[in-house]
Amino acid sequence: MSQTTQVLFKNRIPGKTVFLKEFSANGGYQGLKAAIQTMTPLEIRELVKAAALRGRGGAGFPTGVKWGFFPADKPGIKYLVCNCDEMEPGTYKDGVLLQADPHQLIEGMILSAFALQTQVGYIFIRYAYEKQAENLRRAIAEATQAGYLGKNILGSGFDFELHVHGSAGRYILGEETALLNGLEGIRPNPRLKPPFPAVRGLFGQPTTVNNVETIANIPHIVTGGAEWFKDLALTPEGSGTKLFGLSGHLNRTECFELPVGIPLREVVETYGRGMWKNKQFKACLPGGASTPYLTREHLDVPLDFTSLEKVGSRFGTAGVTAFDEDTCMVAVTLNLIRFFARESCGWCTPCRDGLTMVRWLLEMLESGKGTPEHLELLKGQLKNISGTSFCALAEGAMGPVAGLLTHFEQEIVDHIEGGRCPFSK
Amino acid sequence: MPTLTIDNQTITIPEGKTILEAAEALGIMVPHFCYHKELGAVGSCRMCAVTVHTGPMPGLKMACLIAVEDGMVVTTGDETSATFRERVGEWLMLNHPHDCPVCDEGGECQLQEMTISSGHGIRRYQGGKGTYTNQDLGPFIAQEMNRCIQCYRCARTYKDYCGGRDFGVMGSRNRVFFGRFKEGMLESDFSGNLVDLCPTGVFTDRTFRFKSRAWDLEQADSVCPQCGVGCATVPGGRLRELQRVQSGDNLQVNATFICDRGRFGSGYANHPERPRQARQGDQIVSVTAALTTLATEIRAAVKQHGPEAVLLVGSDRASLETNWLLQRTAKHFGCRVPVLNAHRRRHQTAQMAAFDLSERLASLQDIRSSDLLLVCGVDPLAEAPLLALALRQAVRKGGRVVVYDPRPVELPCDADRVAITPLALQELLADGGVEGRHLRDLLGQAKNPIIVAGADLLGLAGLQKIQKWAEKTSNAERPCLVYPVLAGANSFGTALLSLPEQDDLLTRLESGKVKMLVCVDADPLLEAPEGERFSAALTHLEQLVVFDYLPTSLSQHANLFIPSCPPVEDSGTFINNEGRLRRFQRVLKPGLSLATGDHPAREFSLGTPGSDPQPAALSLQRLIGLEQPLAELHRQLVQEQPRLAALAKLKAGEAGSRVAPAVARPQQIDRLPEQPAQTLELVVSPARYGGDLFSRYAPKLEPRKRPPCFYLHPDELQAQGLKDGDNAIVETDFGSIKLPVRSQPDMAGGCVLVENSEVFPHLIPGAGLSYCVISPGGANE
Repeated sequence: MSQTTQVLFKNRIPGKTVFLKEFSANGGYQGLKAAIQTMTPLEIRELVKAAALRGRGGAGFPTGVKWGFFPADKPGIKYLVCNCDEMEPGTYKDGVLLQADPHQLIEGMILSAFALQTQVGYIFIRYAYEKQAENLRRAIAEATQAGYLGKNILGSGFDFELHVHGSAGRYILGEETALLNGLEGIRPNPRLKPPFPAVRGLFGQPTTVNNVETIANIPHIVTGGAEWFKDLALTPEGSGTKLFGLSGHLNRTECFELPVGIPLREVVETYGRGMWKNKQFKACLPGGASTPYLTREHLDVPLDFTSLEKVGSRFGTAGVTAFDEDTCMVAVTLNLIRFFARESCGWCTPCRDGLTMVRWLLEMLESGKGTPEHLELLKGQLKNISGTSFCALAEGAMGPVAGLLTHFEQEIVDHIEGGRCPFSK
Repeated sequence: MPTLTIDNQTITIPEGKTILEAAEALGIMVPHFCYHKELGAVGSCRMCAVTVHTGPMPGLKMACLIAVEDGMVVTTGDETSATFRERVGEWLMLNHPHDCPVCDEGGECQLQEMTISSGHGIRRYQGGKGTYTNQDLGPFIAQEMNRCIQCYRCARTYKDYCGGRDFGVMGSRNRVFFGRFKEGMLESDFSGNLVDLCPTGVFTDRTFRFKSRAWDLEQADSVCPQCGVGCATVPGGRLRELQRVQSGDNLQVNATFICDRGRFGSGYANHPERPRQARQGDQIVSVTAALTTLATEIRAAVKQHGPEAVLLVGSDRASLETNWLLQRTAKHFGCRVPVLNAHRRRHQTAQMAAFDLSERLASLQDIRSSDLLLVCGVDPLAEAPLLALALRQAVRKGGRVVVYDPRPVELPCDADRVAITPLALQELLADGGVEGRHLRDLLGQAKNPIIVAGADLLGLAGLQKIQKWAEKTSNAERPCLVYPVLAGANSFGTALLSLPEQDDLLTRLESGKVKMLVCVDADPLLEAPEGERFSAALTHLEQLVVFDYLPTSLSQHANLFIPSCPPVEDSGTFINNEGRLRRFQRVLKPGLSLATGDHPAREFSLGTPGSDPQPAALSLQRLIGLEQPLAELHRQLVQEQPRLAALAKLKAGEAGSRVAPAVARPQQIDRLPEQPAQTLELVVSPARYGGDLFSRYAPKLEPRKRPPCFYLHPDELQAQGLKDGDNAIVETDFGSIKLPVRSQPDMAGGCVLVENSEVFPHLIPGAGLSYCVISPGGANE
């Protein structure tokens, strides 16, 4: 257990799931009760904006701004969708959160729905999270019985129905517009933006899509206030806490709730208990599989959105995957590219065929059959795939490739000149 | 209207257009694949990247997705976008097999063209290429999935535009597969459009496979002769064989699609039994000799027996020029005016379209943007397939289609269907009480209402009522338009030309005054009802003269036969359902196909075998000694028929303009025959494949043809004591017929439905309200 303030993990007992009785006993739904009686939807939206909450699903878009685009006062049906299609390799925090405390998300959904005036909500959950879906369904039943869901919630006049929808698709359904297509039951290729989901989303109606962890923060912002929430972070521009899912060559690979802006070194040494087998830190993915690598020179960088952008990477989902000094970064990148190429939906050329080319180039380089031409080709592919695809999948796939070329080009050259992977036995 | 600059050239173009369209208007071809003017832009191929230098977010953009803005500056040749497009070309070529030498698409392949224009050349990717197992999609479409560049146009055409349901995209990443849910013949009547829409050789015309290279074909802009819609086609011939038909472009009519009937139904031109030589009795003669004989005999007959002695007959599949020349021929020899349409009722309804409805005709383009379509007495997929596609586009845009018809009308879109007998439909149109008022209200409240009226099923009485409805529901802001569905490619044209004194074919034949019957591109036995009366009348003739290009039995019985040419071997004009002049240009000359195996003919002769046939229009000109260029012919025609003034400027391959409207004539209301007791209504509909004369001589269409039977509603079957599959005998005014019965729950009760085709030519559609009695027919013989 960590020593830092536990907000999202307040009720968490590893190995156990907290349901309504314990959730309420610990202060659950008090935020909802207070806010729905004493605050207007606009006030809640303003509060979230003031709290400077940024999306926790990977893109980090300011939630208050996203909510600002939403036509909360427009008549007609509107939707709130929770994106629980957590499939990025190295990212598992939403699964942990929902295993521990499903009601927190539900309270967040109801508060968010009230703020945005959406009458229907869907929790879109990946197929593999069977247990979590079961937890959510039970929690929804409990909440409905207690009067927190359904018609005229707590006498406010506000109606909100909430459904759990199991995804029938792959990784691409984490992309919000592909998710909406999947929810509608049609082929889940991403949609063209504009129009944005706030204008034309689920079934053509105004829709907001937010990540699980983002929504889970809402009840706490409402009860604690904007200043309190910002003060939880260690950086001046950051706010709130973040669930860090550790993985890789660490002694302890668990999920921790830590302040936004915590330095990488502390994450690795204190919470990860240092590199395994007495090895040295070489590199890590700071925010999930689609973020550029950080190296030893970045150990003192605070893990936050702005500070990581400054060093050419991204905060992403804060899934920290650490690699020791015996790791071949070319092999790591190839492994990740194999994933992204396999998960391409096949709609647009740079992703469908570009990632195929990149995978082949990395295979040539990793196997020792690479030439200097392959390295040049790889650089050309990075240049031409970044920013040119239909959705962000290809862009994300290029994150590790960019990291490899920026920080480990020498390693590639060693593969070429040695005719083999220098790390292979 | 915004003004923008592309590659230093300025253009002002309507708002809402994209950079790609603006470039096209400037003559700058931006490489692209997934964009298609009828399918729209989806932004998947990324080939159309250009650099936009202005605006809040300048940089590399997809030209097909960006709307033009005033002051926008775009370059297509800058290094960033040119390099990126070269990359896209390279990516698409990753998996592409080196099939060009054996691929039918070569020479008209968009992938070839766009790859070259992208600048990609030498392969740098040396990895494995993805391969697929192909499906057998039936006799019309060949599939070679290894060639696919995943532009998704096939799925968008088949599913989105044409409403097909058994074909689409499956799988993900670089394994996406475009095919049928399981192997088998594609079900859509528009499946052939895959051939034209696929930019590479994945989907090719299986009936044309490995026959010819596109650049070896003789091609010209033509018009499909198989129904009254008048779609633009581009037939291709080589070595005197008509080898394939592609769709042509006509924004007003078929946009850029044609139906399978038109695409694969061209076998009549090279049918092995096509009569190619003139015949006098049993003797083969030259066409010139035959015409000389004919002239002599006509003169003799008229001299001996008067103007009534010679009866000339034209048809709605003959061109405008041919029919008009028949009238000139009659004048020249002093005969009574010709009958231009042997089918009296079809002639009357076509006249209704040509005169009384001519001020309010709708085009298919109008239909595609209509918000309310009342479809009365039409089965579009059987009678005018592209009409069905146009209805679908209206529904896709939010329009509503309401269908009133006795048949189980299937449409590739959602529609409100009411199954109603022909007589009940007439009563509804007469006034219709609450239901009629409701329909007229719907029309009155719509922004662009159109009534689609089936001439065959509605008859003159029905069309007159439709005209009244259209008048009642028009207002100062907009008229209520009508799209009449006529039977033939030139029904409208023959009706427009017909003179009031024309009278009815059977009446004249049975008067006993006719000694010689001359049918020009017409077969009243196959094309008009009351075939028995006609056959009987034939026996009293002294001379039967037939001009035709189809191997009909009438042509075999002729005393004097002169071979003529189908529209692909002629240049002329049709007028389609909505009064639009449609020019077709000769594609190839007649002749026995010279392609024997892999090599042109090795025999030598002064003349090409089988090349005797000449267009009927030309034969008639020679008959009356009046050969002249088409332009001169048209000038004289327009003098007689000023409504056809647009003929002077008409060119093949253009949309064509409407004939000038006429003033509506005073109405003579047809009284409807009373339904006799204990009878059912008889509904005769053309079969989708084999209903029109041309598709009867098209061997390629066999797989789509169905055996004849009587269709009845299951309640009606039960009431008549019949079961599905039993034989039944139906007694009609036209004789007694025995066929099996089939249960059809989507049709109206109170009637018997049968389809006219080559396996059931006995009953012709459009014969008016008629009644029949059905009884069990016993076991099979």
